[in-house]
Amino acid sequence: MKLLPDCREVSRLLSAGQDRTLPAAERARLRLHLAMCDACRNVERQLAFLRRALHGLGREDRADER
Amino acid sequence: MTLESELAALRTPLLRFAQLQLRNDSAAEDVVSETLLAILERPQAFEGRSSLRTYATGILKFKIIDLLRQRGREMPIEPLDEQSIDDAIDALFVADGHWREPPPAWQQPEAALEQHQFFEVLEACVERLPPKLGRVFMMREWLEREVGEICSELGITDNYCGVLLYRARMQLRECLDQRWFGGRR
Repeated sequence: MKLLPDCREVSRLLSAGQDRTLPAAERARLRLHLAMCDACRNVERQLAFLRRALHGLGREDRADER
Repeated sequence: MTLESELAALRTPLLRFAQLQLRNDSAAEDVVSETLLAILERPQAFEGRSSLRTYATGILKFKIIDLLRQRGREMPIEPLDEQSIDDAIDALFVADGHWREPPPAWQQPEAALEQHQFFEVLEACVERLPPKLGRVFMMREWLEREVGEICSELGITDNYCGVLLYRARMQLRECLDQRWFGGRR
């Protein structure tokens, strides 16, 4: 294992982090990478958004409803 | 409008959700019919605190959770072409593990959640997932089940479950990027 994860590993860690609490060492490696990488921070936000969007599926009571 | 006619109008959207989750037409039909009948049998249980659509979706989710609990393992599902999915993920990265095309930020994602069109795109993107990925992903994110429960009901390992969820999330991220957010930069 590399000291710092590459973007590919980060994408896996971000996904895993949505399903379980990552061990402290993995979290630290992830956070340090994210602090240095705009693209992976975007993906982090996008995965969180994906979750909110799915929670809204069928629950949406929107103004533009058909 | 009578409750019957309001429920009849909900059949199509509910069927779509059930199909996205179950990937099995006859099971989806059955579970939606059960949902509509359950609401008609106990109309007093709907107190109007949410829209009928939201209420019905909630009942549908419970019915689907029950169905998967009882029959999750035996429900036939198209096997996954693991190789082509791995290849698709490989294609996102270059050899040193960096993004081939670094994902840009999405503009005004919260505003998308207010738009009906966005949800149509989201549904289309979920539908494009291979059935096995779609089912696990929907169990996790739509039915909001824990990974441990999903694995035991489908008879797969935690590790494989995590792999399926990762692939589903990457594909969906890509699909929304192309079909919704890409055009809005």
